Amino acid sequence: MILLKLTQNELYKIFSLIRSYIGVVLFTIIVPLILWGYGMGTSHIEGQIENAVSDMFFVEGSPTNGYTAAYFIMNFFWVHIPFLIALVGGDIFAGEQANGTFRIYATRPISRLSIFVSKTLATMIYTLLFVIYFGLLTLGLGLVWHGGGDMLVFQDGVLILEGSDAMRRFIIAYGFSFMNMALVSAIAIFFSTMVRNAIGPVIGTMALIIFALMISTLPLDVFRGIQPYMFTTYFSNWEMVFYDPIPWADLFRGLGLIISNLVLFLGTAFIIFRRKDILS
Amino acid sequence: MNEIQTTDTIAGMPTVFALECQNLSKRFGTIQALEDVSLQVPTGSIFGFLGPNGAGKSTLIRVIAGLIRSDSGHFSIFDRSSDLGYRVRQNMSTLVDRADFYKNLSAFQNMKILGRLTGHDDEDRINGLLELLGLYKRRKDKVKNFSQGMKQRLGLAQALLPDPKLLVLDEPTTGLDPQGMHEIRDFIVKIAAEQKVTIFLSSHLLHEVELICSDIALIFNGKLAAQGSMATMFSEMEHVTVELEVEDSQKTLKFLESSKLVSDVKQLANAISIEVLHGNIPELVREMTARQINFYSLSQRNRLENFFLSQMDKQ
Repeated sequence: MILLKLTQNELYKIFSLIRSYIGVVLFTIIVPLILWGYGMGTSHIEGQIENAVSDMFFVEGSPTNGYTAAYFIMNFFWVHIPFLIALVGGDIFAGEQANGTFRIYATRPISRLSIFVSKTLATMIYTLLFVIYFGLLTLGLGLVWHGGGDMLVFQDGVLILEGSDAMRRFIIAYGFSFMNMALVSAIAIFFSTMVRNAIGPVIGTMALIIFALMISTLPLDVFRGIQPYMFTTYFSNWEMVFYDPIPWADLFRGLGLIISNLVLFLGTAFIIFRRKDILS
Repeated sequence: MNEIQTTDTIAGMPTVFALECQNLSKRFGTIQALEDVSLQVPTGSIFGFLGPNGAGKSTLIRVIAGLIRSDSGHFSIFDRSSDLGYRVRQNMSTLVDRADFYKNLSAFQNMKILGRLTGHDDEDRINGLLELLGLYKRRKDKVKNFSQGMKQRLGLAQALLPDPKLLVLDEPTTGLDPQGMHEIRDFIVKIAAEQKVTIFLSSHLLHEVELICSDIALIFNGKLAAQGSMATMFSEMEHVTVELEVEDSQKTLKFLESSKLVSDVKQLANAISIEVLHGNIPELVREMTARQINFYSLSQRNRLENFFLSQMDKQ
């Protein structure tokens, strides 16, 4: 019961901050803009698709639709979303320290574990809502704007997915994306427990992600041994959901590593927070 | 450490103290912020915790408030041991340092959030406390538009939300103008009397403590130097500063300068200040009366300051 109230408090605080809406506002502006631009350039894209598949298929209707638009946008944004997610996770502990509000909040007869769990839960709920909003905006608006139909996926050839199948795969892909973003939030929370200002955790999170991304994508032999253990190696795993057949074993192996990292970062963050002297 | 003074107030109390600390120690790197601090706060008292800046007052309060962990020792609040963890603070509320709130939320929203933590988020109670602290009309205003004085009053309101039996206040008048300080002091005395709340108040403002506290403890360099009731401590003081408001200052000055009972005679704007042995005050009064020196008032001044300085000299 107390955890419910604490989480309610944290959500209230998160949604009263302007920074929590930066990503929402940004995507609300940019996604329709991309969908508009996508519509303007469909003849060019369709031409390219027809050239690629004309020796195999006769294309009737438009191969560009809401599904391909959403796929295109997801491909483009999965690197940028972590920054917007980290704005909230990075502030969740450090912001209270910086504002001096912990001096009141943490003196109440409630455990540090309860405070930590409620803040983490609220951050994860925000992350989930953000991913859902992103999904609704890209796929929902994409379908309304550009219509449905079959979805063409270019992966070792051309894969044609029926509309209903594409929708199912998008939902699964958003699920995997959420887990990736939950890990980003966990990293931001980890940094947030360590410092007293909200900017540090955001920079720290992005620096770590960029560093890990470089190691997991650089085609150098020296990194190949550790690449399977880098969480960023699995950040684009959602793309595999659109393969045929779906490589579930690979997907869940990646998910396992993401969850392991999530537990590691949150566990360490809790140890830091539990032992932390609140001096500001 | 100097011998700790205990008083009849403490000796005469039942065993349950509002707050009891035993051998609390805390070190920050090379700085020993607290060293074996043991003190008892009598139930129902307004207890002043005094010390110069950096003496360890805030550290002790933060340990009690659960903001920092002591290296050793423990404490209890109304017999609930700190071994219980956060549950020890069940009957306690704090206002540590300057009152800071969620600036983008209103006074009422802040109270609601803090009330939820202990199940005291009833709107009538929140409004009642805001009314009590003179903030009801501004309850819907965002805290970022509040003056520091208003924030301090909101800090007291939030501290009273859980209906505490012990209220711990760390420098509650810091940053306030004289009027704000006066308001907060009056309020502290009022809630102590009306709501039977024990107040543990840290301050380096001696005048403030002298005005409202019944008991005090002194801390220097992390070590407790003295504690007990103010009355007992002052009675143990040898020399006191006394101010006399007299009818004929010239006649009085002439007498005082020749008297062996007093020293350090000073003519002030509207009074005469003297140093006198505490035990000699009755005799001094008798001699002045015998010489027909009429006076309107005879009051001890800066007693706490003198006591504080005398203790500081011993360090």
